[in-house]
Amino acid sequence: MKSVQHPRRLSGAVALIGVTALLVSGCTREEASTPSSSGTAEASPGITDTTVSLGISSPLSGATAGPGSCTVAGLDSFLEAKNAEGGFTFGDGKTRKVTLEYLDDAYDPAKAVANFRQLVNKGIFAYVGALGTPTNAAVMPIANQQEVPQVLLTAGAGEFSDDQQANPWTSGFVPTYTTEGAAFGKLLVDANQPITVATLVQNDDYGTGYLDGFQSAIEGSQVKVLDSATYEPTDTSVDGQVTQLAASKADVLLSAVSVTPLQVGVLTKAQSLGWKPRIFLPSNTSTPATVLQPGGAAAYPDVYTPSFAKTPASPAFANDPDVQAYNTAFEQYGSKITKTYTPHCAWSYAEGAVLGEAFSTMEEPTREAFMTSLRSISGFQAPLLLDGITIDTTKEDQAAVFTVNLVRYNGTGYEPVQGY
Amino acid sequence: MAGALVRLRAARWSRPALALVVAVLLVLLPLVSSPYVNYQVTTMAVFAVALLGLNVVMGYAGQVSLGQSAFIGIGAYVAGYGTTHGWPLLLTFLLCCLLPGVVGMLVALAAARLRGLALAMVTIALPIVGTPVAKRLSDVTGGSQGLTVSWLDPPSWVALADDQWRYYVVVAIAAVVFLLTRNLVRGRVGRSFAIVRDNEAVALSMGISPYRTKVLAFTLASTIGGASGFLYLAVVQYTSPETLSFGTSINLVVAMVIGGSGSIAGAVLGAVYYVLVPVLAGQLDASRTALLSGAFLLLVLFVLPGGLVSLPRRVQQLLTRRRRRSATPSDDPGDRTGTPVLTSDGRTP
Repeated sequence: MKSVQHPRRLSGAVALIGVTALLVSGCTREEASTPSSSGTAEASPGITDTTVSLGISSPLSGATAGPGSCTVAGLDSFLEAKNAEGGFTFGDGKTRKVTLEYLDDAYDPAKAVANFRQLVNKGIFAYVGALGTPTNAAVMPIANQQEVPQVLLTAGAGEFSDDQQANPWTSGFVPTYTTEGAAFGKLLVDANQPITVATLVQNDDYGTGYLDGFQSAIEGSQVKVLDSATYEPTDTSVDGQVTQLAASKADVLLSAVSVTPLQVGVLTKAQSLGWKPRIFLPSNTSTPATVLQPGGAAAYPDVYTPSFAKTPASPAFANDPDVQAYNTAFEQYGSKITKTYTPHCAWSYAEGAVLGEAFSTMEEPTREAFMTSLRSISGFQAPLLLDGITIDTTKEDQAAVFTVNLVRYNGTGYEPVQGY
Repeated sequence: MAGALVRLRAARWSRPALALVVAVLLVLLPLVSSPYVNYQVTTMAVFAVALLGLNVVMGYAGQVSLGQSAFIGIGAYVAGYGTTHGWPLLLTFLLCCLLPGVVGMLVALAAARLRGLALAMVTIALPIVGTPVAKRLSDVTGGSQGLTVSWLDPPSWVALADDQWRYYVVVAIAAVVFLLTRNLVRGRVGRSFAIVRDNEAVALSMGISPYRTKVLAFTLASTIGGASGFLYLAVVQYTSPETLSFGTSINLVVAMVIGGSGSIAGAVLGAVYYVLVPVLAGQLDASRTALLSGAFLLLVLFVLPGGLVSLPRRVQQLLTRRRRRSATPSDDPGDRTGTPVLTSDGRTP
């Protein structure tokens, strides 16, 4: 009897695959691009006289879902608010509305590539603002091969910005980890006094990036690193490392820990040992509600973090027109995608404005023209950026934002800092 | 009785016919579909091979393994290293199978002494240890930024695009791996797997060493996993420590159960699920893909506890029940004795 049942089961399954294959093959290959009704140059896919379509694939589920969702929500808020005002004015004199297609890659490179191909297949004009180093690294060669803009990425690794000759279709948006580390170093050097430092960094190239930036900034100064420790992102506790570093009694702790619960652990452990240095936190684990308050950061003399964008919830910026515009737009559009704030929401909102700036000088509806405009922005004051920080895309080896300000925790939020 | 004979005959010719139809479809598919569709179908082939490996150890030999992603990762890294160093393709492929196979065997030599949850814990260690090791060996693996390759472009004498060429290469290798594995699990080795899975004491009494059988199953699974790592690199052209991540292993186990454990076709269906469901969920609502995938998982487990592979049988079962009900309104229990088929959920229809 079994011999009768088995083939039937197999053939049924095979039939099912066949049906699936047929369904999938329903979408046949189309080589023709969207024809342009006007202009000298033929329009690239995804752009018409009235619309432009953009795409993004970020982690919207899994461990990185918070920041990932924000890279979509902030961008969507800016674009939709602008669409509601009538749309973006382009360099060719036309006004176009922008649509944003977003997909979830769960921080998986294979899915990111699939999503990228899916978006290109749907005819996006450009791929913008995606979060994640491995996911974007997997997409980068394909984007450059197919000459699809993969721009203003929310990834702190240097590789998306430091060789624009090799990857002309890719650009980063946020400052790299090295930039952040260097900003810390500079603050200490500028104090012009002997300062001792202990460092705790992730044991991979993210951590190395941080440390490299910091060390090259303090080279030859009175700042000395007494002790260093590393941790693995999979560690469940860094108490051992903190105890080791506490023995150095350093004045400053550079805690480049990128895992939120571990950063909270650093803050609680050091004070329980009676060690209260000034603390430097990286931008991705410095949110007051999720790191500083649970970690009891108020116990430390100072907690610094690099920042380039205003915190919309901070009372200090309550009357800022940009922040008010952001809050209105986010309430109306972004909150449909995520309700939890991470700095990435503000960053990607500003990124929307950078896109608008690039559109405004784009004279032909082509990807080439878009890249040219995007690569020639300098001194642009995007909304939500802190005073003194501007967008500059003309540097061949830097992300669009390559300066950071340091801010200090004041018990509730962050305020600008004038020195050590 | 005559009906059964007709059905038997029908099954005999319909099976090769269907296989032929599918083969023709698979050959024609990349020529008419977009690069995106080709990429997705090729990815399905990659994960079908990975699931096949997992199926050998979990479905056929009945041993829990939560470490399959580590072997995909090792395979992908070997392929990446070989490609960047200009090794011949065949040598790279063999090493992609061999190295994960050796690692799998070494782990299995120790792990196969354990059972159930203890065994699961040991296999979890592979991705948990593998991810940081891959990050640390940055000279070989490129660290957390991963390894990007430009590889497997179509040769000049073939008028195919990149995606079409890679599709044919990957699907052809996958088909060979499937054929070999199918023959293996249907033969002596497969029968010893089944006995070890069902009752180790019986296996011993028949002169089959459960320990050796388990080690063999693990080694096979990791070798096949390594082959799928090679295919993974061919498709994605990139690998990073994320490939080894524990999450991938868990998702593979889920996909295997959904496809149908202990079944060759189940591995294919599992791969279709693995690739297609996140895409469909993303079409519905991209910010709730995890939730929608979870709902689908529960649905399958409730309706088809035997996995997607039991769908045709299940449908047929329901149809027969309805037909029988309309034929004999007075529900005659004696009628049931004629169908001694046990369904996957253990009840007679």
